[in-house]
Amino acid sequence: MKSAKIITIRNLGSSFIEMWLEEKDIAHLARPGQFVMISPGNTFDPFLKRPLAILSTQETQFGLLFEIVGRGTELLSQFHPGDLVPVFGPLGNGFSLSPKEAILIAGGRGLVPLSFLANYFHQKKIPYIFFFGMKDHSEAVLSETIYHLQPSLILSCQEKISGQYHGTVLDAFTDWLAHSSSTSETTIYTCGPQEMYQEMSQIKAITSFRVEISLESRMGCGYGVCLSCAVKKKGFPGYYHVCKDGPVFRLGEVEL
Amino acid sequence: MTLHTCLGELILSNPVILASGTCGYGREIAPYLDLDCLGAITLKGLSSNPWMGNPPPRIHETYAGIMNSIGLENKGFERFLREDIPFLETFHTRIIANIWGKTSEEYLDIARKMDALERIDAIEVNVSCPNLEHGGESFASDCQILCQMVGALRRIIHKPLIVKLGPNTADLENALDFMEKEGVDILSVTNTFPALAVDVENQRFVFSRKTAGLSGPAIKPLALKMVYDVLQRTHLPVIGMGGIMKAEDALEFLLIGARAVAVGSANIIDPSIAIRIIEGIDFYLKRKNISCLDDLIGRVR
Repeated sequence: MKSAKIITIRNLGSSFIEMWLEEKDIAHLARPGQFVMISPGNTFDPFLKRPLAILSTQETQFGLLFEIVGRGTELLSQFHPGDLVPVFGPLGNGFSLSPKEAILIAGGRGLVPLSFLANYFHQKKIPYIFFFGMKDHSEAVLSETIYHLQPSLILSCQEKISGQYHGTVLDAFTDWLAHSSSTSETTIYTCGPQEMYQEMSQIKAITSFRVEISLESRMGCGYGVCLSCAVKKKGFPGYYHVCKDGPVFRLGEVEL
Repeated sequence: MTLHTCLGELILSNPVILASGTCGYGREIAPYLDLDCLGAITLKGLSSNPWMGNPPPRIHETYAGIMNSIGLENKGFERFLREDIPFLETFHTRIIANIWGKTSEEYLDIARKMDALERIDAIEVNVSCPNLEHGGESFASDCQILCQMVGALRRIIHKPLIVKLGPNTADLENALDFMEKEGVDILSVTNTFPALAVDVENQRFVFSRKTAGLSGPAIKPLALKMVYDVLQRTHLPVIGMGGIMKAEDALEFLLIGARAVAVGSANIIDPSIAIRIIEGIDFYLKRKNISCLDDLIGRVR
């Protein structure tokens, strides 16, 4: 088990935290779509580590961006620079990394692993377009972490905000798709709430693309021994395990 | 200084074992610790045929513990043989296979197959799973059924036979008498404790099967009491387990007479924790000037 040192920690709005940690092995090994298991404290309450997607890496540091959704993330948000946090990773399979061109679709905190992926495509000069959808203006703070990706960025919000597409991220995407020349060689990468994936699998035009989705799940171990993070296989009996078989799956591979 | 411990014919280089269901089939945890540094590793429970387990949610966090309802998911014997045995053959650590079935016949079938594998050093039988021939009640909840099955297993298993007793073992005294007479070699005590959780927000049970097994430091004092009670009633060597998180926890079990300990939930939160527990036991023996583990076992009666 490694300990990572917190370098910076800052609030983004009232419910999101961005944290950068020093741990060179994780920083060097991490690929877009992978996650770490991080301890919210040294007591047994809460008992389990928390799975958090990696936001990006820079030399010997890696970044996390998470929403405070319960006791574990609340405790994590109270750490300070200089604190040492038990952490291990990177874990999971990550996204495929050599598409001809890419469409990224993120909803809410689903932005985190896709932001890492977009930075990677940017570096590798792989053409991409990034749709980021917000539920309301409280999620607008997240978009500042990807502003540097302009002009490849299309923002949308379900609440009316001036200058931005009004509707869901899938509305924005389908409007755009109707006028685009994307071919079946384009890969679509998505991360967002379960309902977004369900809605997405109803879009007819999407069947001609390779679509990768990144799932969120309650986890025990994060490395494939406890078998807690089961998700049903589609069309076959049995389960995949999000930590080891995922968190990235093909749309159509799992029951949503 | 020696950490060796003997459980009948099963000799371990040190008393720390990884508990079944918390270390996969070895390969999964191997990147985080050297399997050869362990006393033994107990594999994830295997049945003859693959079993898909329970629908999610399968895990729920409690104060100082976890509840699980995995439902014995496993890849089945054939895939284990193909995918995992070649890997395990590259190690010399002791390997304990954990087996289960839904009927007596299924138990005997997987027992025969495991007994034939050279790389398996001992066989641990999980008797806490539902018996489909008797309305889904646990095999351990009826002393007669439990004894019949253990007797039948003993006749076909030539390797050291370990019976894993959970908190719901009926008529413990008679069951222990029978196991001694039938030639069971070792007992594992205990398993997860049956427990319940309610989802207050949605006003329903957290788990679809209502109850789930509680493990972790929350159960340690209960597990310790159970190991103590069993040791009062039997001469069989006992592997003590339940909520061990650090060397001091393991030492509590050893001091009351367990000849080895198994680390379970701790592996879930830190896959290399068992190594630190072994080091901690070693350090304690040095500090107390005890030259071998045998001199420590059972000092507190």
